[in-house]
Amino acid sequence: MSQYKPKVVCFSCKFGWGYLTDEDTLSSKIENWIPIICTGKIDATHMIDAFDEGADGILILGCPEGDCHYQDGNYEAKKRVYLLRRLLESIGIDKERIRIELSIDPEGRRIPQLVKEMSKELAKLGPSKRGAAAEKMPKEVIKARGGK
Amino acid sequence: MAKPKVAICWLGACGGCDEAVVDINEVFLRVADAVDLILWPVALDFKYDSVKDMKDGEIVLSVVNGNVRNSEQEEIAKLLREKSQLVLAFGACACLGGTSGLANLTTKEDIFNWVYRDAPTVVNPKGNYPQTSTYVNGKELTLPEFYDHVYALNDIISVDYYLPGCPPPPYSVMYALSAVLENKLPPKGSTLAPHRALCDTCKRNKSKPDRLAIKEIKRIHEVEAAPDICFLAQGIICLGPATRDGCGESCIDINIPCRGCFGPVEGVADSGAKFVSALASILDAQSEEDIARIVDQIIDPVGYLYRFSLPVSILRKRRG
Repeated sequence: MSQYKPKVVCFSCKFGWGYLTDEDTLSSKIENWIPIICTGKIDATHMIDAFDEGADGILILGCPEGDCHYQDGNYEAKKRVYLLRRLLESIGIDKERIRIELSIDPEGRRIPQLVKEMSKELAKLGPSKRGAAAEKMPKEVIKARGGK
Repeated sequence: MAKPKVAICWLGACGGCDEAVVDINEVFLRVADAVDLILWPVALDFKYDSVKDMKDGEIVLSVVNGNVRNSEQEEIAKLLREKSQLVLAFGACACLGGTSGLANLTTKEDIFNWVYRDAPTVVNPKGNYPQTSTYVNGKELTLPEFYDHVYALNDIISVDYYLPGCPPPPYSVMYALSAVLENKLPPKGSTLAPHRALCDTCKRNKSKPDRLAIKEIKRIHEVEAAPDICFLAQGIICLGPATRDGCGESCIDINIPCRGCFGPVEGVADSGAKFVSALASILDAQSEEDIARIVDQIIDPVGYLYRFSLPVSILRKRRG
């Protein structure tokens, strides 16, 4: 397993992250980086599609609260991510596979760093369990349902 | 000219879809006149062996309802595919995996343990579990193999047309049957239902405020829902925004919100993810605590959002 390197897809808003650095220079340092205009544009289906394409985790970098160029895109993204994390949990996939950070970094130096950090955390979880078989029910759950 | 041969068959189904065929009432007599029914296990006594003896493509249309979760269902699905020119996946289970597809959240072992050992009502002192092969007095008795996964029909065979619904309403059954008989079919792979979302035709749509803002999520049995106001405006989860239209709003009419049995709208693969976006945008929460408080009121997110479609959902679809 030492060879396993998780795939993190990073979406970042161009208004808050790395706008002072040339996009080509930055993208050479970040694999699977998708700079976009406003995190509010990221639909839950885009996140699920990323998993479908083989992502192990998704990192969303939006503008600080109250600082969205389009009023509330970052805050819409935050609600979406929270709800999707709950859905992942109830589907049996670790919710830590989707993260959102609302902050600002004009130079974009923190982006590769944050991706690396998330990748490290995901390495502990192993590959995404998308499409994997269900896991065995814990004894407590069986008891809680009134089982013997 | 010989009448076109039609088969109607159930796999992992409850029988409701067969009932839906009967629900077209006297129109069915005309259908029965126009076609030669060669298989309909729930209503008529035909044998699978007589289907096996047919030539490939001899059946014009097979209407197949139910999902595939054991080896017998897989065998019959493959047999009907071989012998049919057209296969219509009929109902939510065949199209999307259906309610029983929620079993994919647990293992075959857990299901067997619960049903034959752990459930409080089970009395099974010898600890008998179903076996695929048992010998009684030197003779072998066999049962189909129960799979550890529920499959939608198109995971097993290629499907030409889809008609979702739990069950499909009578007029859409008539539309589908007459489209085949009159050869007025849309391109293969089409779903025989409108492309838009249920909200587009919902009678309650007009009652929706300019901006929906949900402060509390309530479950339908906890409140007395107003009979003519948009469910989402009342804080009750309704899957209308992410569900295909065509059901005739029979749930909405009896004051029950949409549960998504018609599956995703045209062009969308995963209706649950689509609904996440729709619901998140109408949650009226400012702080992180507020978001958590409202969202955590959804007791069973996967059960709500994938009630009929877990086996075809992107995150739970079995690959390879």
